Amino acid sequence: MNYSLLITGSPTASRACYSALDFAEAAVANGDNTIQGIFFYEEAVAIASSLAMPPRDECNIRDEWSAFAKQHNIPLYVCIAAALRRGQLNEAEAKRHEVEHFNLADGYQLEGLGSLVSLTLESDRIMRFK
Amino acid sequence: MSTLIYLSSSPYTSSSLKEALDLALVFGTFEQAVSIAITGDALALLVEGQTPSKRQGKHLYKLLDGLEFYDIENIYVKETEVKAFGTSLWTGVQAISQEAWIDMLEQHQHIYRF
Repeated sequence: MNYSLLITGSPTASRACYSALDFAEAAVANGDNTIQGIFFYEEAVAIASSLAMPPRDECNIRDEWSAFAKQHNIPLYVCIAAALRRGQLNEAEAKRHEVEHFNLADGYQLEGLGSLVSLTLESDRIMRFK
Repeated sequence: MSTLIYLSSSPYTSSSLKEALDLALVFGTFEQAVSIAITGDALALLVEGQTPSKRQGKHLYKLLDGLEFYDIENIYVKETEVKAFGTSLWTGVQAISQEAWIDMLEQHQHIYRF
């Protein structure tokens, strides 16, 4: 089965990002499955902030997702409109909006909702975590 | 293959409905078949004569008349909920029975709930 994941729950106010990673790990552990891509939307875009600093003895879900994605070559898309609204910018967007700082973490990429449409069309199943 | 955007959140308590309608419009832009179902708190989206200030939230009602330009023509509500609502609602919807609602859900391959 070829999956994509849509994650909309906040990384601090819900378990969505954590449950989704559990699912993704279990999915790829079974050699019959692939994951086409991960799309973070609504409050889940906060996962991509490089400035979030959870205590060192707690799970850093941002880094766990990026390590998993790198290992399995899975893109981590962050909705650009939802991200800008919530203060997640990459260098190009910071320049475009004429602000000094940007904070998109390594391994994540800002993309339009068209990427979610593509994932919907290219995957057998979309799993939603909210 | 068709997609349903299923709305049940209030239009003014979060940006959820705005982001749901954005997704519906992008499906339309990509010429993908997309329908919208509106139930529960989301029905407030359809109330006529809304005049929200910027601080209260985006005027999403204004988007409704533009949906047809994205080929979004099937917008479903439940008959019973519309009758119970008591206020006049935007007329571009199809009010259907509970049985038809269940059939309608089954006709869509993907359902995104907001």
